[in-house]
Amino acid sequence: MINAPVAQKRVQESLVGFPPRVTSSYLAFAESGDLTNLDVVVLGVLQFYLAKKPAVPLEEMAGTTRLVEDLGCDSLTMMDTVFMVETLFDIKLDDTELTQLGTLDELRAHLRRHVQGHTASAA
Amino acid sequence: MSAPRVVVSGLGFVTSIGNDQRTVATSLRELRSGIERVDFLPGTDLPVKVVGTLKGFDTAAAQWPGWTWPEGYTFPRDLLRGMAPHGLYALCATEQLIADAKLTANELTADDTGMFCASAGSPRMLRQFVNQIHDSCGARIPPMGVVSTIAGTLNFNLAAHYGVRGAVAGFVSACASATQALGYACDEIKLGRQRRVLVIGGEDVNFESIFPFHGMRALSRNPDPARASRPFDRARDGFVGTGGSAALLLEEAEAAQGRGAPIYAELVGWGQSADGYNVANSDPDGRGLAVAMQRALASAHVAPAEIDYINAHATSTPVGDASEARALHTVFTSGGAHPAISSTKALTGHGLSFSGAMETAFCALALRDGFTPGAANLDDPDPVCEGLNLPRATLPTGPRMVLKNSSGFGGSNVCLVLRRWEN
Repeated sequence: MINAPVAQKRVQESLVGFPPRVTSSYLAFAESGDLTNLDVVVLGVLQFYLAKKPAVPLEEMAGTTRLVEDLGCDSLTMMDTVFMVETLFDIKLDDTELTQLGTLDELRAHLRRHVQGHTASAA
Repeated sequence: MSAPRVVVSGLGFVTSIGNDQRTVATSLRELRSGIERVDFLPGTDLPVKVVGTLKGFDTAAAQWPGWTWPEGYTFPRDLLRGMAPHGLYALCATEQLIADAKLTANELTADDTGMFCASAGSPRMLRQFVNQIHDSCGARIPPMGVVSTIAGTLNFNLAAHYGVRGAVAGFVSACASATQALGYACDEIKLGRQRRVLVIGGEDVNFESIFPFHGMRALSRNPDPARASRPFDRARDGFVGTGGSAALLLEEAEAAQGRGAPIYAELVGWGQSADGYNVANSDPDGRGLAVAMQRALASAHVAPAEIDYINAHATSTPVGDASEARALHTVFTSGGAHPAISSTKALTGHGLSFSGAMETAFCALALRDGFTPGAANLDDPDPVCEGLNLPRATLPTGPRMVLKNSSGFGGSNVCLVLRRWEN
């Protein structure tokens, strides 16, 4: 898992301009490893990059909300989100797997698996 | 049937001397400088200390989410993600232009509305983009990396965003780019191919876009922001860089009048040439620039004595300014013509690819508002300027006929002739 000093550095380098809730949740995850904070970061980054701002925050939407059909998440938005998540959590996501993610629940679960797996292997 | 007259019927500014038309006009009249001290690389002692800064913009962050800009502009996120810093400046200038020119959405997207842009690309964004690819061994390629970095970034982004359907092109003749874009836009309209063309120039202003010019010792090392940019002065030691954006609408006069658009000036003719001399230095004799001026005058059917004001290219480099002075002697002084001459780069710094758009827009303001910008920071004219009319203060009288000069790497010279609008 990323440590707090590294997380602080990434906040300054990569999260400038992002909503405070994304930044604070990222730092909280670095501190505690609590996966609910990871979820907030992932959805917050996605929401930030969406071309059309959703009517309600993604966190408050049903997990079955579809990325493409409901949120208008195009491939560029997904790539921006993926690069940012990879940078923040020191992980590498597979393009083919990403194309199979259809909903917010699937995105959250996929990122949880990767970040947990990375943490376990790093340990 | 005679060719249509072409007018400037809208302006937009993001410059070191102002981010709106009124502020820019005041700065020009009062010779207010936009140059400030900067620390390009904190912790170092670079020999270049000053630049023409943009006020109200902060694009220091690596990516657009960290950028800030003046209130009143709202841009969609999917647009900004393909933008370099000067793309943001150009968006703001273009928004001003559209409002000023009273352009409707239908007019903007008409088949005979074009867009010509001038930009050198974004060295900063390109560095980040390529580094990211290298560092990830090719695994991480930012999807908008190409369109946000290369020299066509302005025309790619702006034409798509505004739905432009006429002629779209980018110009890359360095510091002559925007002036050349204006010239070709004028031709497109006179030939009846376009009814109007938005001409937009832009440049980043940061370490990566400005400091490389120190490699050829082209930048001033004078640390005093009030004195560093001093075109035609004996003590000049190089140019002061700047960035930003300027946007002009060129339009058929009848169409502009029919829409009730503001008409600033008429673009009567233009000319261009190349030195055939050196990749970076001007021909010391100024032969190429003299030819371009003569071609512009011939194109406009105007005699040298009819020109009241020349907005010089003069960037404050020892070689370039002397070359232009000699060219001015050849075309004007030797024939007994003594138009007022100044370089507004003394106030703004040198805007590289977009300088011609910025300075042509300044000329348009001078023609409409009736003033002639003075030659700021000129204390001791270079002896080569002997006989040139270089008024130190702004003249309260406006010119009727203006010549705008631009020169760029490779020896490209482009000159425009503008006239006060008379129906």
